Order: sequence, then structure tokens, then C-alpha cells
Amino acid sequence: MPLAHVDRWQGRDVRLADVGRALAQLRDRDVHDEDGPDLRTSVLTHLVWVPERWRAAVEEVLKGLDERHPSRAIVLYPHPEPERDAIDVEIAVESYRLKGVCRHVSAEVIRIDLHGRRAEAPASIVSPLLMHDLPVFLRWRGQPPFGEGPLEQLIGIADRLVVDSTEWDDLPAAYPRLANLFDRVAVSDIAWSRTQRWRRVLAGLWPGIAELSELRVRGPRATGLLLGGWLRGRLGRDISLALEPDETITAIVVDGIPVQQPAGEPKTPSDLLSDELEIYGRDRIYEEAVRAAAL
Amino acid sequence: MAETDQAVVEAENPLLEGLRLRRRPDPCALVIFGASGDLTTRKLFPAIYSLAVRRLLPERFAIVGIARTEESDEDFRQRMREAVEEHSRDELREDVWQELAAGMRYVTSEFEDPGGWERLTRALNALDAERGTNGNRVYYLAVPPGAIANLADELGKRRETEGWTRLVVEKPFGRDRASATDLNERIHCHFSEREIFRIDHYLGKETVQNMLALRFANGIFEPIWNRQFVDHVQITVAESIGIEDRAEFYEQAGAIRDIFQNHLLQLLALTAMEPPIDFTADSVRNEKVKVLRSMQTPGPSTVVRGQYGRGFVEGEEVAGYREEPRVAPDSMTETFVAAELYVDNWRWADTPFYVRVGKRLPRRETTIAIHFKRAPHPPFEELAAEGLRPNVLIVQVQPDEGVSLAIGAKVPGQGMTIRTVHMDFLYGGAFRTGLPEAYERLILDTLLGDATLFTRADEVDEQWALVDAIVAAWQRDRPGFPNYDAGTWGPPSAEELLARAGRAWRRN
Repeated sequence: MPLAHVDRWQGRDVRLADVGRALAQLRDRDVHDEDGPDLRTSVLTHLVWVPERWRAAVEEVLKGLDERHPSRAIVLYPHPEPERDAIDVEIAVESYRLKGVCRHVSAEVIRIDLHGRRAEAPASIVSPLLMHDLPVFLRWRGQPPFGEGPLEQLIGIADRLVVDSTEWDDLPAAYPRLANLFDRVAVSDIAWSRTQRWRRVLAGLWPGIAELSELRVRGPRATGLLLGGWLRGRLGRDISLALEPDETITAIVVDGIPVQQPAGEPKTPSDLLSDELEIYGRDRIYEEAVRAAAL
Repeated sequence: MAETDQAVVEAENPLLEGLRLRRRPDPCALVIFGASGDLTTRKLFPAIYSLAVRRLLPERFAIVGIARTEESDEDFRQRMREAVEEHSRDELREDVWQELAAGMRYVTSEFEDPGGWERLTRALNALDAERGTNGNRVYYLAVPPGAIANLADELGKRRETEGWTRLVVEKPFGRDRASATDLNERIHCHFSEREIFRIDHYLGKETVQNMLALRFANGIFEPIWNRQFVDHVQITVAESIGIEDRAEFYEQAGAIRDIFQNHLLQLLALTAMEPPIDFTADSVRNEKVKVLRSMQTPGPSTVVRGQYGRGFVEGEEVAGYREEPRVAPDSMTETFVAAELYVDNWRWADTPFYVRVGKRLPRRETTIAIHFKRAPHPPFEELAAEGLRPNVLIVQVQPDEGVSLAIGAKVPGQGMTIRTVHMDFLYGGAFRTGLPEAYERLILDTLLGDATLFTRADEVDEQWALVDAIVAAWQRDRPGFPNYDAGTWGPPSAEELLARAGRAWRRN
């Protein structure tokens, strides 16, 4: 869908009331547009917590995502260093031309830099900006600081936490800590989504795979651990796991026999996140895999 | 592995649980009769290709085109490739096309030629061996209505003992109740009702299915979806085009058989039906057929027919119906039908359903508009509320697919002035994945054996019963055709149909 126009607003050291007013003004600006007012059909609030090292990667994913999910994206960039306590905000209302209709639809991206102590209370900043009655997806870039304030607060307002455990350094030790969240918030893991096409292939090996004892995975550590946990949990067997690092899953060997490559191309990061934003309930099979991944 | 053994293995497979697996159809061969026709080129093949792009076709799949036109396998592949390039919603991907094309064959045959049937059987047997299609067959009859019965007979006589068989029949199914009954009986000689898939492509449209979601997935609508709150319902199936090159068919069918008997009555049934107990084929169709059975036979004063004369559509002068090529200069075929219909049941008694279908109307649109009763006593001065109209819920089937609710809102400023405003939900605005074409959904459902979105024999029978009654009344008079100008909303009598009850058709 072609991007028709982007309306922007920026504010340094602002209050949330300024943000609300700016959003209303940006929406109002389009009312007298010759193509008619932009439609704001929202299906979710997409909350993103982005430590500085992930900033560039997030912008890339957002580019591919805004067009597909008519959401309000609130991107939080924490800067806990105590230079100043302030909120800087940039709003972009992106309008996309609808095919065959003389109308635009808009997606809102609110980028908030949280300086100083403001980074310690993100939920109080985000809550007034959530879309009423719509699900809140919290995408946490990097390994979440389990047990710490910002994560705990944001989980409190989110319906679903989306992580990518391939971004984590502390594996498999971090998995039991993630598992502690399962009863509080539904969790999606993009690393798990990446294994889906391979899981389909492995499922096709049933019943021959029922007695599996050794699994070798060449791919990211997280995906290998999750596949091992999944097979342990599902087959109810102790399975030895050997991992060989690679950027993506490139080979799986079960009991010495290579598994056929799945058909088609792997999904892009935007596609993977997009898929996760369409899931609402708990994924019990993933939860079982996470618990068994740390064994 | 036999189908049942496979099902047992899948049920016992713990690795399948939680995998978001779309149900994939069994291996099969799709045989298209009428492979050189417009439907195959414009709709069927682009839809099949889009299913292939999304990996929704069976893993082991083959297509056999059969038609009179002399053509080789390679010619057929090339022609279908061009059809996909021209008409598909997806870009042609070489890898997907090559995979699909590898399973494509073409058989040149007159349908009555025994040699042609033998060639078809040989081609299918060879595909079973080469591509593992297991003797499963879908026969798609994209042929003129007159050819369906004989084809079904021939196919029935040659049924394979191995594998399952499904028969897809395009509308119109018969030209009246008697011929539809006869056709059903002839097909039922060889095929059970579960094996017959009568296509009404409107049912494959996302927005038509959304009517079920709107009604039965939202708690707020169903309590007011009845005679207590609904003043009347308007269903419009309007086309701005004329008959194009379909004169031969249209002269026989007219608007009542082309659109009213099938698309329009199906839209009405979906609007008026009771909630089904589940979304299985028989549950949904049971409820639709109850609506059709409950419909009063309309009298002559509640049905209007029209035929377009010269006029202007989108600024261009267009010919009248009788001036179209291959149309009789004194043709009495109707190109417009409007009717006031009633569903005689507890929910809808005395609630009019105003319906209209027509060609050369000002614009193309298919809408279902639920007009609610006025607020009983608006506490505003008459002048202030003069812009306030009753609430209307509009299901926009095409174009601009979506739902819109007209509500009253205060005009900003001093005093209390009320105006009607629209709250819009546009499909393209909320779900940006692109709507699948109706034929994609219907072909996939056929391959899966899911008949929910297809018309059952008893529905067809009820639809024809209503249409026969209307047409019978038409034999007694001879209206002065043409009676509306192209580019207008039908003859003045269509306006009067509503005006006598103090109502009016929606204009936008």
C-alpha cells in the first residue's frame, strides 16, 4: 500500500497533554484534505521497549510493519543516565492510500525518549496513550531485565509480551525466568516462530521420530534450545542436544539422519513480528518448550 | 496410506499440536470443463495460482483442462500463464508457476465424443501415477447451463472406484423450478448431495461472510436485529455495465435469473437467517433454507421490472438494451427488478425487505442496509433535529468493502443541532493483507470438501419457487420497455414501491 503522506510533530521536554493535543491536531489536519479525512481504524497498541543498541533495528522493522497493522505504535527509548528528567516526543502520523478507494488510512507512531528518572516509570507515561479496549502488545528488544521495574510495570499493562530470545546472551539460564512470567502475561517468542517451518517438517517424521534420542541443530542458539525443548516436552523423552552456531537454522539432524529443508523462504523480521501481532491467547506448547529448553 | 489410517496417525502425533497448520486438501486432480472459456481465464486460473502462491493447494495436485479448442499441453500452459499475468492479484513468480505448470494437461474434446472421454481417462490415470493424485477428482463444470446434465451423466457413468469425486456446478442452476428439479435428479443419479458444489460466487466474498461475523460475533447487533427495532431492509445489487457480450445468455435469463434468483436471495437469506448452531455446511444451509421457505410470494404490485434505454453512464452515452448487439429490437427481457419482500416468521413479520438488482445503474455497488426505527421521542426542537435521520447499518459488499453506521451527532457550536454522520469500518483500513478473490475461497473449500459456502438443492428449489411465482405474474402484462434511462436508478415505479410507505431508496 503506497505511503501517501506523513505528518510530524516534535516536542522536547513535553507533558503528555501536549502529546494528546498534537495527535488531535495532526488528525484534524487531514479532515479538509481533498481525498477526505484519514481513517483511523485501529486493532491494537504496539508498545516497543528499545534500549539504545536496538534503535536502528527497530526502525527497520517498523517500516515494514506500520503499513500492515493499523495500530498506534508507542516506541520507548530509555536513557536512564541522570542528565535530565524529561520526555522528548516525536509523532509521525503515516497515511497510506487505500487501493481503489479515495481514502487514506493512518497509523500513528509515537517515539518517546525517556530521560533520567522518567525511564523508571514507563507505564505511567504509556497508560494515557493506550488505545481503549484494544489489546496491548509489548515488544521487548534484547533480553528483558527480569524482575526489574520497567519490565514489571509494562507487563502489568500489556496483554502479550513479544520477545526474540535469539537476541539474548544468557541462554538457557534466562528461559526459567521467562517461564515465571507465563501466568501473568501471554508470551510470544520470535525465535520460536522461526522454528515453525522446521517443526512442521519434524512433525512429518512422526511416528518414526517417536524414539528420538539425539538432535543436532545448526542455527542460532535460541532456536536450537527451543527445538530441543519442544521435542523433549512433546515426546516425553530425554534427548541429547548438540548445537552448532549459525545465523539462521540451516540444518537439523535427528539420530544421525539429516532432515529435509522446509519448502519456501524464511520470513522477514517484519513478517515474523506481524504474525505475532495476530495471536492473542497463550501458547502452551511454546511454554512447555521453554521449560524443557533449560533442562 | 488410506485416508482413515492417515487421520489416526495425525491424531496421535504429539508434534502437530499447537502448530498453526492450515488444513491442506487431499491429493487430487482438478478437471476443468470449459477450459478455453472466459471464466477459466479470468477467474479460475488466477484463483488457483493465488492458492499456489500461498501454498494452499494439495502437495500432490494436477489440473486437466478440457475444451473443444484444439490446443497442446504447452499451449494451454502458456495461455493460463498469460491469464495469471493479466488477472491475478499476485505477481507471477516463476518458481510457483513452474511447479503448478508441471501438473497441467490439456485434452481437446467435444463433450459428446467418446474418444475424448477415453483421452481424459488416460490423462488422469497417468497423472495418478506421475503425481500421486490417488484417483481423487474435482470436476469443475465451467460450461453453458445446457451442457451440465449430459456432462454429469457421462462423468457419473465413468466414476472411478478409487478416491473421492466432487462436482462443481456454476450458476445458473436451471432456468426455473422444474428444470432445476430435473437437473438435480439427473445429477443425483450419479452423485450424492455431499459431492455436489453449486457455486454462487457471492458467497465466497469476504464481506458476505462478514455478515455472519457481524451478526453472530457481536453481542450488540443480534438483540436489535428484528422487527422490534428494524424498520426495513434494503438490498441493492447494482451494476453500471450493460450486458457486454452476454446477449445470448441474458436474453434468456434477464435480471431475475441472472442475479435475483441467486446472489440477491442468498444475501437476503444471510441477512434474515437465525443463528446456526455451528458453522458447518448443513447448519448454515438449514437456517438459510428456513428463510427462503418463509418468504411470502410477492404480488404484482410489489414487484417492478424495467429495461434500460439510452442514457449516460460516467459521462459517456451508452446504448439502450434493445440496441445492444444480438438483442431483439422488441426484447421484453428485464434488466432491472425491484421488489418488496416479506419473511413471514417471528423475527421479521411485517418488516419489508426492499431489494433491487439492475444493469446500467449509476454505479456498481452491492449493499445491505438495515434501516432502524426512529428514536421514539428526540427531545430536541424540530428545526435542530431536521438533519437527523434514522440509524442505518450498511454492509458494503462491493466496492469499498466494509461496514458503516449512520448515527446522529451534535454539530459543534451554540444550540443543539443534530446531523447524521457515518462511522466507517473499511476492510482495507483494518486488515491490510488484501482480500482473497471469491473464487480462491470457493475452489479451496471444494478441494477441502467444505460445502458451507455452496448452495444446497433445497435452497435452489426454494429460490426458484419464488422466482417462478414472480415470472408467472409477468406473463399477464406487457410493460412499455424501455422504462428507465441508462445511468438512473431504475423506473419511477421502483421509487413508488417505497414512496407509498413513506420510505425512499438509499442514494449513497
